Amino acid sequence: MKQLFRKLTLLVMTCGFIASAQATTPEEDLAAFQNFFKKRFPNVETQDYINGAYSIDPVGRENWEAIEEFPPYEPFIDEGQAMWETPFANGKTYKDCFPDGPALAGKYPHWDKDKGMVMTLPLALNNCRKANGEKPMKYKKGPINSILSYLSYESRGQVTNVVVPSDDPKALQAYEDGKKFYYTRRGQLNFSCAHCHLQNAGMILRTEILSPALGHTTHFPVYRSKWGTVGTLHRRFTGCNKQVRAKPFKAHGEEYRNLEYFLTYMSNGLPLNGPGARK
Amino acid sequence: MHKRKVLKFSLLAGILCSSMTTLALADEVSTAKVQKLIDAADAARKQAAEVGGEWRDTGKMIKKAKGLLKKGDFVAAAKLANKAAKQGHLGYEQAMSQKELKLPSYLHYE
Amino acid sequence: MIGNTKKWIGKVGMIGVIAGQVLVSPTLLAGDADVAEGKKIAFDRKKGNCLACHNISGAPSPGNIAPALIAMKSRYPTKEALTEQIWDATIKNPESSMPPFGKHGILSESDFKKVVEYVWTL
Repeated sequence: MKQLFRKLTLLVMTCGFIASAQATTPEEDLAAFQNFFKKRFPNVETQDYINGAYSIDPVGRENWEAIEEFPPYEPFIDEGQAMWETPFANGKTYKDCFPDGPALAGKYPHWDKDKGMVMTLPLALNNCRKANGEKPMKYKKGPINSILSYLSYESRGQVTNVVVPSDDPKALQAYEDGKKFYYTRRGQLNFSCAHCHLQNAGMILRTEILSPALGHTTHFPVYRSKWGTVGTLHRRFTGCNKQVRAKPFKAHGEEYRNLEYFLTYMSNGLPLNGPGARK
Repeated sequence: MHKRKVLKFSLLAGILCSSMTTLALADEVSTAKVQKLIDAADAARKQAAEVGGEWRDTGKMIKKAKGLLKKGDFVAAAKLANKAAKQGHLGYEQAMSQKELKLPSYLHYE
Repeated sequence: MIGNTKKWIGKVGMIGVIAGQVLVSPTLLAGDADVAEGKKIAFDRKKGNCLACHNISGAPSPGNIAPALIAMKSRYPTKEALTEQIWDATIKNPESSMPPFGKHGILSESDFKKVVEYVWTL
């Protein structure tokens, strides 16, 4: 009897161990995530996911390629370049904050150990403005999209390489929080991000193909025909949350920053190709 | 003749006034009742928000309920407040039932 | 005599019609109305929006995320089982993508019942 009890305790303990061992490393997550797409769309090259839904939709792709011949985001790139070069009221420019030049999108998002938070490119731009006595830009609509268009254009070809540094447990926590966000059901309609862009990627919702999660972050900011203008990644996050009838979170607040950290990590190895054009 | 008219008038006025105060009293009672429902809805909304589970329209419903209450539309205001409270509870439950991250079964780890 | 019989048949017929109206047709009519209204709600993008994910025979531009809504009576043993599925599909499958139309109040109670009536006919 005693022995049976011992065996049972051992069994319970093993089960507990297995459950807690479910924690996966970022590297394991990345492999599982990218392998999922390899299995689902065996004929699609991993690198081609930077083209979003068009990587798996040949008909849509033709229209899109026609649009890309006269890119609707071009004027935004020019405007952004002017912003980059025009001095602030104090005579300094963005260059003083970012001495390595405008090809810097590949460095974001990254873990900022001093601040103890994920640093995104839009946040860094606004920090630069604030340091120079300028008003910060809004994070979803407006001028931020022009400068992001320029910086993304200059950064084309850089490879996504988000790092979760092992010397700061808070970095891993931020990544884990972003991952948790991605797989959590939200809103009245009860969808997680993964329901549409992983589980059902490539399926047709009414008339639209659900775009694959892999490559989602490479082409922002994006000119969306639906918006009639260029919009940021966090504007898109907001839209997705509203569509599932959840209250959206603050752009570049902790939730979306960590989500961007996780989601961009999942596209590690994929080249940047922003700004993009989408339906 | 004249006196009688005055008497009639004051009687009528008295009846009117007293019935108006009863109505006003009834209004106050309803206002307090519906306000309680609205407060409860807002508390439920906040509870959901604290765990990241607030839904899109809950806050809007509460705002609308407040407007309806001001207009004296007690029934519609109460109905909306109750609906918002239910959303708050459901959003909270939804978040709490997913406290632990569960990776989807279709993701294969080696 | 013939006239009488005619009258008699007429009376029985009348009673039959009246009885029919009282006993059968009102429930039938209500049911049909529910089904018809349920269909409208099911097709409405802001309400049921079933077509976003399910194909329904003869419906315009359906999605393909979920199984076609066909032969429901053979797929669900009872109307109650179908009701549960539309109420909250995650009871049966925790990973289901289907929104819990009843549990989360996506449809009002009466709309929900009508949609069930409609889908049960498919």
